[in-house]
Amino acid sequence: MNKEIKKWFSLNLGNKKQSNCGCSGSNCDGQALENKKDGISQVFDVDMNRRQAFKKITAGLMIGAGAVSTSCSVVSGDESKEKSQIEWEEYFKGNYKLMTEEEKDKTVNRLVRSYELRIGKKINISSKNAMDDVLFGYAFNISNCQGYMDCVNACVKENNQDRASEMQYIRIHEMNDGKGLNFGEADDTYYHEVPAQGHFYMGTQCFHRDNPPCVEVCPVQATWKEKDGIVVIDYDWCIGCRYCMAACPYDGRRFNWSTPQIPEQEVNKDQHYLGNRLRKKGVMEKCTFCIQRTREGENPACVEACPTGSRIFGNLLDPNSEIRWVLANKKVFRLKEDLGTEPKFWYFMD
Amino acid sequence: MNVKLNIIFICTFILLISCKHKEDEYHTITDKIEDLGKDFKGIPLSSDKYTETLKKVEVTENWQRFYIPERKSQIKSFECSECHSKPLNEIQGEENIEKSHWDITLKHANQETMNCVTCHSENNMDELHSITDKPIDFNLSHKLCAQCHQNQFKDWSGGAHGKQIGGWAQPRVSQTCVGCHDPHRPAFEKRWPSRYNVHMVDERK
Repeated sequence: MNKEIKKWFSLNLGNKKQSNCGCSGSNCDGQALENKKDGISQVFDVDMNRRQAFKKITAGLMIGAGAVSTSCSVVSGDESKEKSQIEWEEYFKGNYKLMTEEEKDKTVNRLVRSYELRIGKKINISSKNAMDDVLFGYAFNISNCQGYMDCVNACVKENNQDRASEMQYIRIHEMNDGKGLNFGEADDTYYHEVPAQGHFYMGTQCFHRDNPPCVEVCPVQATWKEKDGIVVIDYDWCIGCRYCMAACPYDGRRFNWSTPQIPEQEVNKDQHYLGNRLRKKGVMEKCTFCIQRTREGENPACVEACPTGSRIFGNLLDPNSEIRWVLANKKVFRLKEDLGTEPKFWYFMD
Repeated sequence: MNVKLNIIFICTFILLISCKHKEDEYHTITDKIEDLGKDFKGIPLSSDKYTETLKKVEVTENWQRFYIPERKSQIKSFECSECHSKPLNEIQGEENIEKSHWDITLKHANQETMNCVTCHSENNMDELHSITDKPIDFNLSHKLCAQCHQNQFKDWSGGAHGKQIGGWAQPRVSQTCVGCHDPHRPAFEKRWPSRYNVHMVDERK
């Protein structure tokens, strides 16, 4: 619904000239006053005459009425009524972080039902919360990675990423031997027989830092760090400003510039609200450590798919886990340590 | 006078509210892991639901206890002695009989280091043997590999080498050496990557 409309006469406390002027609106000294106003006053203290005001009010009312009437109409079928009912409720729901368990269940059911109404197929959306005593960590073995990119394909399939823009959360970089981790000279769009002579391979994705800059800069708190360490996004709360994309030092975030297109048969039907459920145009997305899999005890798709076993995933709080063994026994390092953001993704070599 | 006091108040106020140090914030992730992990008693999730139908063998290597998939039931022509009734030295060299395993070529180290009997026992075809001719069961073939590939073995026993079956939860089920590496040709062959992102290439032009 449109906001409360500005008064059709404008009150400008800073300028004495205006109060003398009998007329209102833009025929007056509107132009001279423009320079004195800033931000808020430009929106709220707009000079407007009656006609303009009425036009805006009516437009707002019509939109609202249209929205309401589609769900209360007597002529449209039951299904479309239900659809608009769902859309209406989804529009007004709050931030996922603040939802009670009941509200989470409700929204998940609405989304499942909405998909069923639109496409006719059933999907599974989970809203499973983080488990206690779990903190996910990841390790990548640079010696073993041969640059096959099987992980990228598995990730795309698992997480329902946009096929039209070939979105991929993971990037595999082909680096030159002897030059070290030189990302400036690395190539991540190679296409030749691998492993190529004189090169080594390593992958990057969202590192799920413990101190994530993307979370701090989000103006609407649409992204946050869950208790088990996964940094997630509520796709229905994201406004698409892409500030987080600018804040991420590793280019871990991806933006949907257009509506994601996924062929129906390839849609992964096991979804999580904060993970791989279908996104819309204008929202951010990123690696979620396959939250729909890892909260059920499975490994992320990239770990599962790697044919060389270069990827290791586990619970950092379990002293018997493989990831803890790696941290204790291998020489590990992380990228951009000096930024102090504490990524939970380590690299090591044999 | 009043202005100065105001400024002091404002500055103190800003100082107080700008301190971002929260109770649960740790300086480094290792601090956090140490602190939160010290009373770890296990989680309700287990890998059992993914590995129930898998036949497993429990092993203890390098003080690590975990499972590996059972191997003997997966080998098509096991047990060797079901077909081969004569010991190896009696069937070797005979020209008229057909040779089995013609499709296995050995591409593992060189002729000086390895040949068939480096791993396969001549006296008992149903078993492997170590360098010192001690028998090694086919299910525990990793002990053979560990003789030369000690670094990888150490990493594998800790979980840093190889693949895990059934997810990240305990108990760990690790894939065996032969699960990924064909013992007769263990190296991974060169191949082409499975993806070429045309979009990214275009973007950078």
